Amino acid sequence: MVPVAVYFGLFFVVPFALIVCFSFWVDSNYTVVHHWTIENYRYFASQSVYVHTMWSTLWVALASTAITLGLAFPFSYWLARYVPRGLQKLLLVLVIVPFWTSYLLRVYSWLNILGDNGLINTTLQKLGLIDQPLSLLYHRWTVVVVLVYLYFPFAALTLYSSIDRFDWDQLLAAMDLGASPVTALRRILIPQIRPGITAAVIFVLIPILGEYLAPQIVGGTDGIMIGNQIDEFQKYALYARAASLSLLVAAFIVLLLILFRRSLGTREAYGA
Amino acid sequence: MSEEHTPLTRAELLKRGGVAAAGLSAFGASNALAATMRGAGAASTEGVTLAWLTWFDHFFPQQLKTTLKQTGIACHPKLAPSDSEIYTTIRTTGSQFDIAAMDALWVPYAHKSGLTESFDLNGMKAAKQLYPAARDIAIWKDGSNSMAYPNGWSTIQTYYNPKFVKTKPDSYDALLDPAYKKKIVYENSPETFVAFAGLATGAKVPYDQTLPEIARSKAWLEKLKPNILKIVDQNFETVNALKDQSAWIGLGNLGVDLRVKAAGGPPIKVAYPKEGLLGWFDGEQMVKASKHKDVFLTFMDSVESQTYWAAQNFLKNGRPMFNEAAYKLLVKWGYKKRADAFNYTKPDTIFKAHLQGPARNPQAITDAFNEVFGG
Repeated sequence: MVPVAVYFGLFFVVPFALIVCFSFWVDSNYTVVHHWTIENYRYFASQSVYVHTMWSTLWVALASTAITLGLAFPFSYWLARYVPRGLQKLLLVLVIVPFWTSYLLRVYSWLNILGDNGLINTTLQKLGLIDQPLSLLYHRWTVVVVLVYLYFPFAALTLYSSIDRFDWDQLLAAMDLGASPVTALRRILIPQIRPGITAAVIFVLIPILGEYLAPQIVGGTDGIMIGNQIDEFQKYALYARAASLSLLVAAFIVLLLILFRRSLGTREAYGA
Repeated sequence: MSEEHTPLTRAELLKRGGVAAAGLSAFGASNALAATMRGAGAASTEGVTLAWLTWFDHFFPQQLKTTLKQTGIACHPKLAPSDSEIYTTIRTTGSQFDIAAMDALWVPYAHKSGLTESFDLNGMKAAKQLYPAARDIAIWKDGSNSMAYPNGWSTIQTYYNPKFVKTKPDSYDALLDPAYKKKIVYENSPETFVAFAGLATGAKVPYDQTLPEIARSKAWLEKLKPNILKIVDQNFETVNALKDQSAWIGLGNLGVDLRVKAAGGPPIKVAYPKEGLLGWFDGEQMVKASKHKDVFLTFMDSVESQTYWAAQNFLKNGRPMFNEAAYKLLVKWGYKKRADAFNYTKPDTIFKAHLQGPARNPQAITDAFNEVFGG
């Protein structure tokens, strides 16, 4: 336990404590002054724009998570149930392959897909379906699309590992007893893979709440998320402001995690 | 002309590893021989490695290799973030860095804060390659010394597509025209955004506004916001947006029009707003806490004397250098027209612009930017 405690203390507790301290200090002339104050928190509470941005961020995160899981679940189900074992590994590798390229490259590539002269607009214009390019970039939903693409592998792999352990005979038994396929899925499969679903939600939703590069590149002024605002403070060496806003976001995430544990009954997932 | 690029294949990597292992034994002897050839006075540079906090467009790896061969001084460049982060990094890390780049008014600010030391610029061999105006930058003078070695410069102007922008936007207020809704791009820099707004609203020193001036600038930015398509992270995004005509107007460093043209985009024109231009010029400073101050001049002289790389720097990064000898090389290479299009021979231009520098209210500036552009 001691090595783990030391490791955890050094690489998590100490840095976190430093951030907490910074959040209660003051930025002045590019210096963090060690004057204890709640001024940063008071400022954020007084500015509705940050609350509004947080809600926008949550909206983007929830929408992205829902769509990602909506796409990942049927994919994982199909992969686990219908694809031969040998081919499963290959398809799983294909899911992971995007991680072999740079994150930035993957985000920038969407400019070439969604741009006015991008793949989609060019194709539609060549097919004669549109005369003028569609405005596909620099909207909030553009950020959602790109985040779904970025986080799909996280959800797919997590759900696959859960679904792969499921005893399919139970579904057959349920249908033998008169349940429709959808009912069997809903009442037999879903409850048993709930920890996997919860894990997938956490692996997708939590990181998205801190995203700032994808919104910066494809979101335009409509796609700004709370991470972008933290980044602006950081860039201008306003570390106290950045720390306090980061802690507010972290507190929000902790609250979400607590709700996850309670509302989705994940105690069994943690061995309780 | 293109800079040297040696693609590194796996076979090459293995070969180089084997050669390196065999060569280590000969290294000591050859090093001693080189030191002897350089003369006894240079023996103190052997084995010295300088940490250089600078921007990516201030050096080439091959340039540093040449300096290592010439002087025995190695260098580990670390890519610098913003001026404010460089300032806080130097202040908090003490002697970790030996050389730090900064812009314009940040240089005297860092010097006044006791973070840097001035040096005899005009005594350097490399300084003879500089334009006279660059050897005598008033705000960087410390007696007969200079606080920094000048590198490059640019003003920030308005570029527009005349196909869509029928009236030349020669005023910042022209950018507020509702006809430009979601048609303007600019780089992600709160201080410069607020500085533009300061120019538009009559701030005395755009980069160093008072609180009432910042409030007026914020109000102006709120009017501008509907017209901003995107706040970009890199200049090439401005170029791409103008190229594919998703944006009609972009604010940027010199040469955006030429870059759009080189990228196959439409003709782009430039407008110089009547309220004045923002601008920057940067240079390298000797960090006061550095343990290798004695080799700073030797190192900088070697790096900055490499005229070939100064000329390559202009060609690759597309902004004028203060190096006059590099201009002559560019002319010889057939790039006179291109260099002249960037006002390369007019370094005095930058000293008339509103220069980038620290603000008395940095927090208020970032607050204003975030409050306007928050989601």
